[in-house]
Amino acid sequence: MSVTVNNQPRFQALALRRAIISHIGWIACGLGLLLVIGPLLDIVGVVAFNGISAFSLKLFTTTTNGTAGGLLNAIEGTLVISAGGMLIAVPIGVGAGIYLAEYGSNKLGNTIRFLSDVLTGTPSIVLGYFSYIVFVTTLGWDFSVLAAAITIAILIVPYLARITELALRQVPNTMREAGFALGASEPAVVFKIVLPGAISGVVTGALLALAISVGETAPLIYTAGWSNYLWNGKLTNAPIGYLTYVIWTFIDQPDARSHALAFAAAFLVMLVVLAINIGVRLIIRRTKLT
Amino acid sequence: MKIRPFRLSLLGLSLFVPAALCAVVLFLIIYSGQAIVFNGLGFLSRITWNLGNLYSDPVTINGIQIPLGANYGILVFIIGTLASSLIAILIAVPLSVGAAIFLAEAVPELERSRPRWMPPIRPALSMLVELVAVVPSVVFGLWGVAVLVPFIGKYLAPSGNGYGLLAASIVLALMITPIIATTLLDSLMQIGKENRESAFALGATHFEVVSKVMLPMVRTTLIGGIVLALGRALGETMAVLMVSGGAINILPTSIFSPVSTIASFIVSQLDSAESDPTNMAVRSLAEIALVLFVITLAVNATAKLLTSGALSVRNRK
Amino acid sequence: MKLSTKLRNSGAAALALAVALGAAGTAHAATTLVETGSSLLYPLFNLWVPDFTAANPGIQLTTTSTGSGAGIAQSIKGLVQIGASDAYLSDGIVKKNPGMLSIPLAISAQAINFNLPGLNDKNIKLSGPILAGIYSGKITMWNDKAIKAANPGVKLPAHVIIPIHRVDGSGDTFIFTQYLSDSTPAWAHTVDYGTAVSWPAVTGGIGANGNSGMVSAAAANPYSIAYIGVSFSDQAAKAGLGVAKLKNADGNYELPTAATVGTAANSIVTQTPPDERISMVFAHGANAYPIANYEYAIINTAQPNAETATAVKTFLNWALTSGNDMKYLSQVHFLPLPAAIVTLSKTQIAKIH
Repeated sequence: MSVTVNNQPRFQALALRRAIISHIGWIACGLGLLLVIGPLLDIVGVVAFNGISAFSLKLFTTTTNGTAGGLLNAIEGTLVISAGGMLIAVPIGVGAGIYLAEYGSNKLGNTIRFLSDVLTGTPSIVLGYFSYIVFVTTLGWDFSVLAAAITIAILIVPYLARITELALRQVPNTMREAGFALGASEPAVVFKIVLPGAISGVVTGALLALAISVGETAPLIYTAGWSNYLWNGKLTNAPIGYLTYVIWTFIDQPDARSHALAFAAAFLVMLVVLAINIGVRLIIRRTKLT
Repeated sequence: MKIRPFRLSLLGLSLFVPAALCAVVLFLIIYSGQAIVFNGLGFLSRITWNLGNLYSDPVTINGIQIPLGANYGILVFIIGTLASSLIAILIAVPLSVGAAIFLAEAVPELERSRPRWMPPIRPALSMLVELVAVVPSVVFGLWGVAVLVPFIGKYLAPSGNGYGLLAASIVLALMITPIIATTLLDSLMQIGKENRESAFALGATHFEVVSKVMLPMVRTTLIGGIVLALGRALGETMAVLMVSGGAINILPTSIFSPVSTIASFIVSQLDSAESDPTNMAVRSLAEIALVLFVITLAVNATAKLLTSGALSVRNRK
Repeated sequence: MKLSTKLRNSGAAALALAVALGAAGTAHAATTLVETGSSLLYPLFNLWVPDFTAANPGIQLTTTSTGSGAGIAQSIKGLVQIGASDAYLSDGIVKKNPGMLSIPLAISAQAINFNLPGLNDKNIKLSGPILAGIYSGKITMWNDKAIKAANPGVKLPAHVIIPIHRVDGSGDTFIFTQYLSDSTPAWAHTVDYGTAVSWPAVTGGIGANGNSGMVSAAAANPYSIAYIGVSFSDQAAKAGLGVAKLKNADGNYELPTAATVGTAANSIVTQTPPDERISMVFAHGANAYPIANYEYAIINTAQPNAETATAVKTFLNWALTSGNDMKYLSQVHFLPLPAAIVTLSKTQIAKIH
């Protein structure tokens, strides 16, 4: 935040004005951050306080029994649905992002990019409703892991594609050119130079996607259903529990026990994502060092 | 033309994205076909939404079976959706630009003078911002009901009622800020040293470097982030449902008026619509979803037009 | 590359873990029943589940709250075995699906709560026509002459009324609007009843989500009025809301208590047809509370297989006997079914195969 000092008075006035504007600018930016962080701290604080006071070993070892019991079934269900959604979405999303960034500067690329943005804007409840009619009823899968995972995949794929593309575009062209000059093939340039160069952006995208899949409720209500019991390993025709269902439903119950479970679930969702977040950052740091 | 298997397989993967979209849209059109015929264009301009009497015998109008008294008009929800999302963007953009700049530029400076025992601030702060993105929608809604709504009711709204457009917009703004801020932060940190240093060498203050050199360089990313965020805002359901005041059959007259958004309205009506024996209610909800889809299409097309200038400027270094 | 491999490995590990956990779940085969629907009945179901599954270890029972409409629709489609609904099946649905049963499981009621500073300890008297006037925007002030006439001697404030309604589809909206329709012809002709109705445009009216949302909205807005299911009456009391006395079909003003709801239930016992599709709202009886109803299980007589049919019957019979014990019902302020109704329900249950 250095200010260039000049001996001439009119420059001094100008410098002063610029310095003032700078300071006001910084203060405004800091205020922006505060306004984002303030409510967040409040929200996180409320969830953490209520969530921790509801924590017990039983939460992780027993399944939900009515609104009593633990959350084992919901924890497992969220893991299974998110993992399934990511398994489908990551190859497609990252692949699409690579295509758009590397070869998508044409009409076809623009069309895909545009449609992908439109899919991003499609509300999750619409996707859930689509899956309900197509997978759950027409194909007869009932409430199931597969219907839920596909819905989640459709939901997060455009985010992955778009953010991967944006990240890849930040990699300087000179790096690609250097690769090609050394005689590297297209896949080698993409996977050994461009993708590693943009890995933090791609991972941010994957994290956002995972976060969305763990935190979503609306598309799962009509696809995953709910189950008080552990997943029986079937991909179709068996409902499965998930954490956001507990938050969404139990918070509207009259008894304190339900509220405790809802807050515990909300806190868990936040903890899980925070843990992933920190873990991936550590991995990135190590990859960068080696 | 040479066949390039690598490019083709990547293209194949990326075609899944439009294919999924087309499947969803096609389904919506087929499913809502009868409702589109029955509702006509007035669907968009009528204020009254009435599922009709789901418990008496249905009536037949123009060969289409509907519940007695059914009338589907969605102007209220279209206006609620557009107004809440636009106000949310107006609030969120300056906040997230400010937050991203502060995290990218000011925090490292502050960190230089931090005492040894303090942990690095930026990773902690940026993680906090990212954490906003994963707080479940319902929790935002709860916070809105417990904190925001009473605040607006007590200090801002003349009627003393905090539920409404402003509460919905603020909750939405909080939810989309991290989307814009994190994408912006990432690209701000990607900017090469030489760009910044040449600006410093010209005698620019740090803030000028940020606002006049760095920010224009990441304009494309910023607009991309805003489009992503707008998508989220337009489609957000649960949190909005809890704080928007759930208006029906009445248009908002001020920023404090209760509103309903299309997405939250679909969620709230689906239950009841499913007990319609003629299925017309569910078909009309599919038509609403289609309208929401068209709105997002229009938003994206506008964003595309706005950024077409920006896109032609390469921001690769 | 290293990173993506790691990510892939961890993803695979998570899935393997999940599969292992899932496999553990299949260790003992059990008949799985799924219940979905009414948010009013849901809290009671949740009280039932632990004791029922303890008594019947061979049956797994999952309960979900989606709304009565979803309960009916999903039960008809066969997605769930038990649909929970505040409303019995309509004539239209029964005509289309003759195999569907409406079986009462318990009796519920609804309170009209208000937030009138200084008057919340008084039980303001309200009637169907007054409430219909408030919710249709014809009665806008608390000191309206209609409300004054019903409450002689009460100093009603000259303040605008804020009517609060549910935004989500709800059995509470169903029985509330049924009361308005039964007591007020003008309401029946214009708005009518349903789990979600076309609320008349009232300036300042608020929509809230769920019963919890209704309590919060009423508490946050002085001079508001709301209809809230009795299972939330403890919350409403904690929030300091007042409870209204409602005018019944015989012209008397009553509070929702076990006695007044019981009178309403007893008065329609003899009129209940074998298929048990009847409204308890606005029932006759000197001290009958006007907003009470049967909570229904919506069941398909034709279940996919014999085991499922047996499990459904076992559960329904348990709910009508052990499940109608006050130790469950009193927690949500529900009432048990009269003996004659239990007999009718058991006859219907016997049809399930």
